[in-house]
Amino acid sequence: MQKEAAIREPLILGDKSYSQITEDVMAPIVGSPTMWWKVLITISGIIAAWGVGNILYLLGVGIGTWGLNKTVGWAWDITNFVWWVGIGHAGTLISAVLLLFRQKWRMAINRSAEAMTIFAVMMAALFPGIHMGRIWQAYWVFPLPNQFGSLWVNFNSPLLWDVFAISTYFSVSLVFWYIGLIPDFATIRDKVSGGWRKKLYTALSFGWSGRAKHWTRFEEVSLVLAGIATPLVFSVHSIVSMDFATAIIPGWHTTIFPPYFVSGAVFSGFAMVLTLLLIMRKAMGLEAYIHTKHVEYMNIVIIVTGSIVGVAYITELFISWYSGVEYESYAFINRATGPYWWSYAIMMTCNVISPQLFWFKKLRTSLMFTFIMSLIINLGMWYERYVIIVTSLHRDYLPSSWSEFHSTFVDLGIFVGTLGIFMTLFLLFARFFPVLALNELKTILKSSGENFKKADH
Amino acid sequence: MGVTKKYWTGLDELHGTEGYKESVQNEFTAETQAASEFLAEESLDETSTPRRDFLKFMGFSVTAATLAACEAPVIKSIPYINRPAEIVPGIANYYASTYYDGNDYGNILVKTREGRPIFIKPNKDFGEGGLNARINSSVISLYDEERLRGPQMGDAAKTWSQVDSAIAGELASASNIKILSSTIISPTAKKAVSEFAAKHNAELIQYDAVSYSGLKKANNGIIPKYDFSKARTIVSIAADFIGTWLTSNVFQTQYTKRRQPEGSWMSQHYQFETNMSLTGSNADYRALIKPSDEGKIAAAIYETLTGGTADTFEKAIQDNLDKAVAKLRENKDKGASLVVTGSNDSNVQKIVAEINKVLGNEGVTVDSSQGINFFQGDDTKVTNLVKEMNSGKVGALIVMGVNPAYSLANAEEFVSGLAKVKTSISLNKYADETGSKCKYMCPDNHFLESWNDFSPYEGRTDISQPAINKLWSTRPAQESLLKWADNDMSWYNYLRTNYNSSYSEATKHFDDSWNKAVMTGVWAGASMELSNNSGTESTSEGEETVSVNNISAALVAAKGAKTGDWEIKLYEKIGMGAGDHANNPFLQELPDPMTKVTWDNYITMAPSDMRELGIGDHIYLGQRTFAIKANVTVNGKTVNLPIMPQPGQASKTIGIAVGYGRGAGDELIGRAAYQTGEYGDYLNAGTDENAVRTPIGANVFGFVSSVAGDSVYSNIATLELTEEEYKIASTQMHSTVMGRDSIVKETVLAQFEKEKNKPKGMSTYNVMPGLVVHEDTNNDGVLDGRDKSHVRNFDLWEAHSVEQVGHRWGMSIDLGSCNGCSACVTACHIENNVPVVGKDEVHRHRDMHWMRIDRYYSSEIKSINDTETIEEKGLGVIGAYADMENPEDNPQTVHMPMMCQHCNHAPCETVCPVAATTHSNEGLNQMTYNRCIGTRYCANNCPYKVRRFNWFNYQAYKKFKHINVSQQEYGRMVLNPDVTVRSRGVMEKCSLCVQRIQSGKLEAKKASTPVPDGSIQTACAEACPANAITFGDLNDKKSVVTQLSADNRAYGALEEIGVQPNIYYQTIVRNTEA
Repeated sequence: MQKEAAIREPLILGDKSYSQITEDVMAPIVGSPTMWWKVLITISGIIAAWGVGNILYLLGVGIGTWGLNKTVGWAWDITNFVWWVGIGHAGTLISAVLLLFRQKWRMAINRSAEAMTIFAVMMAALFPGIHMGRIWQAYWVFPLPNQFGSLWVNFNSPLLWDVFAISTYFSVSLVFWYIGLIPDFATIRDKVSGGWRKKLYTALSFGWSGRAKHWTRFEEVSLVLAGIATPLVFSVHSIVSMDFATAIIPGWHTTIFPPYFVSGAVFSGFAMVLTLLLIMRKAMGLEAYIHTKHVEYMNIVIIVTGSIVGVAYITELFISWYSGVEYESYAFINRATGPYWWSYAIMMTCNVISPQLFWFKKLRTSLMFTFIMSLIINLGMWYERYVIIVTSLHRDYLPSSWSEFHSTFVDLGIFVGTLGIFMTLFLLFARFFPVLALNELKTILKSSGENFKKADH
Repeated sequence: MGVTKKYWTGLDELHGTEGYKESVQNEFTAETQAASEFLAEESLDETSTPRRDFLKFMGFSVTAATLAACEAPVIKSIPYINRPAEIVPGIANYYASTYYDGNDYGNILVKTREGRPIFIKPNKDFGEGGLNARINSSVISLYDEERLRGPQMGDAAKTWSQVDSAIAGELASASNIKILSSTIISPTAKKAVSEFAAKHNAELIQYDAVSYSGLKKANNGIIPKYDFSKARTIVSIAADFIGTWLTSNVFQTQYTKRRQPEGSWMSQHYQFETNMSLTGSNADYRALIKPSDEGKIAAAIYETLTGGTADTFEKAIQDNLDKAVAKLRENKDKGASLVVTGSNDSNVQKIVAEINKVLGNEGVTVDSSQGINFFQGDDTKVTNLVKEMNSGKVGALIVMGVNPAYSLANAEEFVSGLAKVKTSISLNKYADETGSKCKYMCPDNHFLESWNDFSPYEGRTDISQPAINKLWSTRPAQESLLKWADNDMSWYNYLRTNYNSSYSEATKHFDDSWNKAVMTGVWAGASMELSNNSGTESTSEGEETVSVNNISAALVAAKGAKTGDWEIKLYEKIGMGAGDHANNPFLQELPDPMTKVTWDNYITMAPSDMRELGIGDHIYLGQRTFAIKANVTVNGKTVNLPIMPQPGQASKTIGIAVGYGRGAGDELIGRAAYQTGEYGDYLNAGTDENAVRTPIGANVFGFVSSVAGDSVYSNIATLELTEEEYKIASTQMHSTVMGRDSIVKETVLAQFEKEKNKPKGMSTYNVMPGLVVHEDTNNDGVLDGRDKSHVRNFDLWEAHSVEQVGHRWGMSIDLGSCNGCSACVTACHIENNVPVVGKDEVHRHRDMHWMRIDRYYSSEIKSINDTETIEEKGLGVIGAYADMENPEDNPQTVHMPMMCQHCNHAPCETVCPVAATTHSNEGLNQMTYNRCIGTRYCANNCPYKVRRFNWFNYQAYKKFKHINVSQQEYGRMVLNPDVTVRSRGVMEKCSLCVQRIQSGKLEAKKASTPVPDGSIQTACAEACPANAITFGDLNDKKSVVTQLSADNRAYGALEEIGVQPNIYYQTIVRNTEA
């Protein structure tokens, strides 16, 4: 068995035993829902319904219900898309990359981070769909054999690459998440007594018996999937960034975009994980499993990725001046000083300046401060995409076509609606799925559990 | 023989049994009885439905109800039983005709498809001058559903015989009958009017909504004929001669002929004006003057030329004045200059007429001996008529093609007088402001349904012919007059007979001559004389030609013009003219060439004045920055309009366009003439059907002042700001080009002369966009940074093989010739079924124009490299960019037509995920609407921002029900059947009129020849009165467009980004010093 240095802070606090872990994780599933859960799901359900209503209105009347115009052809739609995809990065990074690096602290957070990823990617995938003028022809983006003659998709188009990247990422994440869930479903199956739950979890656990052979295969599959998922973490957002990087619009046409987008995605993904987990640990009594140490680790990732993002912003500014290209330099001057200077200021403050506060240990170990910071970063990263898309488009080459973008209630309604749908899905997950990878956690109980560490001394 | 075989249906028939005979008698057998009883409502109560039949009946009912619910499509097309020889479905027919509405005149070709007129283009072979936007978009007015559909007495619809007998009775007893008409230039109509006048002892009074009576008075009762193509120096004092002044469409063609730097000489144009007019925006030198200075400028020119002492003006004006006078002197006695003024003050016109005489222009650039037949209206007579009407002395008034209740300065007096006229008859096409107040409305045909003849000037007679049978029960106005003069001849026969009887050659040839005239639109025989004998009161002729003979009196009067703190200058807009086109959605949506505002009327004001008034935050208008409304009071009348910043407006002056505020009493003048709200309903209409609709803008004809009896379109005004904000829908919110010289290139004539023989891309004003290559391209023996190759030679991937293979369609646009008149914009709009989207959508920057004209004003800082000015202003880079957003107070203007550039390396094509936009093997960037899924990625990636997205279903969504012609039963007949009407959610853009290319190629194929250069014309190229647009095949070495694309002035907009556009622009050359 693996040994861990005693001075390392324990990852599982308190006097926990294997069965206690099981009970802690099982509590919300077998028990009746708490008041908080009911209130939250009602609110998020209403918001989700409002969002769906707005989407139906959009589909019924047309894209004109958004605030877009002849110059700014994308705004909140693609901003939301990139923002959600970015958020969807943390889950796979935590479960795949940290798995490969043998980071044990991921075990407490990977399940919910992955769930978040799945739901975020679902929200993200919604936007390229509904932003189409003719969504009823959306299947044309797939290279399907058809009866239209030799009609095929355009493999030059980054939007098509998006289709492949997102669908691959979604399916791999889903499979990875599900594989991890199987042993835990089996545990639940064994614990619940009769009724529909028994049947449901029996079906979901795919006949898992906990034999050594199963565990071996489980480990192998996890590693293989981690190997597949790791490049995807980098490819998805690189490809999303190419929607912009391969275009000729000043402010979009930038080779720095792929790494910059990936680090930005991890940055925002971790922020969203923190937002959700800090609520969840309180609401579901998981303080022993997700505590300051985990938060601190994540905050360190935030400093690193946030700093990369900051360097990228400054590099962009430098290159726009250094290139000597009039359009390029104007695009960045306009970003910072033009009509949308405020969104640039929000982006800079939230994404570059505020994460640097995490250099102070006191701040990065403060849960309240971290929670506020996570919200700030989420906001900042939304504005980053808004800045890139709207400020680049609204003043491009021909000054005659310079315009501005103002959102409508439908823009807002759909964005807020996706937050509602996302929260609804996450609450359902928290109620019916094991929110911690309990079987994995059990593997580190004896090496990283507080009581076992004390006992060793 | 004679034995016919007989067949029988059965043995019963053969034997003729009783049962058979009975069954023949009884059509409905017993079985069908039950159903018919069931269906017959009256007997339903009596029938008892037996229990056994219940299911049968129920089954029948359900099936019947279901079938009734499925409405079978009603197809209203009727096949030709005998097809008319000239109509081949799918092939267009063109009819030569003539447009005249009292203001505009043009020789037109009417395109009809399957009998429907759908497009109007210039009759280039036989006509004079081009067509403006007002004429080429007038085709839609034919289908206006609010046109009167038959005669009416008040609100009651009558038959023609009913109104004829009623009117005949009333006219017989009426005394002092007046006919108030727009200027009649039709010789035959004049004859018909005379016939009516003779019969009823009536007087014809001609009246023009926008008067030129001062000009006429100053030239001894003649409107002179001007020729701008012979003038080396043109001085215009507030005459918008290429936009709206006199026969502007003819002047425009003359003017642009001499604005080519390649020609033997190029004219130099000085403009002194208050508002920023289209003409002023094309001037080489432009000075800002107050309206009260118009006469003073004219006087100063006259006095300086004749050696007198002239007044001096502030420096900016004086400099231009000195230069202009020096140039006029240079061309003195050569007949090589022309001075015109748009003022209708007879004194100012007198001075200008004298200046032209002094300069020796008479007989060369000015012909005041013969003149033109337009605008013969006499303001004094109209004023007298209104007085007479109010005193109850007028027994009957016939209104013919004018709308005095709207367009008179004293319209209220006219209306009150009209109530006192016993018999008032309107021959207008609409129940408009005047017509609806008349007792009888006897609607005239639309001009596309009418025969006519016109004599624009002595020596020319044009013919107008109908292109469609009349849609409704209307009748030519002339026929109505003849009818009431007891002449039962149809108007067509009357017209034809008039020509036949006056035809001097042998009568047997008349048919040939007439047919030829109808074919060409021009009567080749002896021209018809336009009789000036307009009525019984021959003495009035003397009054009409009252002239100002005393130049010194004129000088005194002109110099003594009233001045005020705020002065107002009224003008006509390119789209609206004098207000006749308020119901035309294409013209309402046409961006004004200067302000780029659609669907609105406003106060133009200099930005510097706005800052002084404390409304500097309302200069850069956008979706959330609204205009401030102000009350303007003139002549005791007040209108409330928004303030639109207009660089180039003289300080302390304002401009307001006439022609707005039509239908203030909710008259039926057309569905598009009223304001609509965000969801398409009429504003203020609510749900109440009878509520008053809100007119667009405000009527400012009441602001017209009167000088010596003539209407003068300027006045002293008082201005009062309000707190109210107002949305203005402009298609362009940013006014300057930000020093981006790869978009617009310009130079001055002297520089051009020096470098005109250098190859393309080698001159200082047209620098080739190149990249440094490792190859000695400049042959100086050294490899260095000066060795460059054109950016077009660099490819990331293999280029489309369009060079020298088949056709490669392209275009050249001469920015020097283009003067921004926007005729191309409306032509494109109609040709390509581009949707009209209305004010709210334009305000959201979602106008759909495939072809637009970008208008740029110069800024004080010319570019970011203009370090001298930047240092002078003490600005950094950021400050300099911000400063460049502001136009100068008196800017130079560029009009740049912009449409899809059909790039060979099109950025839109690579990004479409479904390959809906692709490159054709003829160099066209083509849209496949059916394939488009509407991601808008292509539009984002278009550097020219020419792609237009269908945000809504414009053909059905309620927001567009009043303004979009395709939602109207008759309106949709104007749609071009060769062009797909795009559905919601797809992208569209300029196709270079691919439908015309295809049909042109087919024609060439049928003739087994290569496509002749110039045989295919896009709608914009064809419509351009300045010939600024040339379309052709770039693979045809000899084509005009190929030569133009390789010429010294040619460049591609934004060429340096490597998209390889197939549209070339020609550098602007200004005839200025620096």
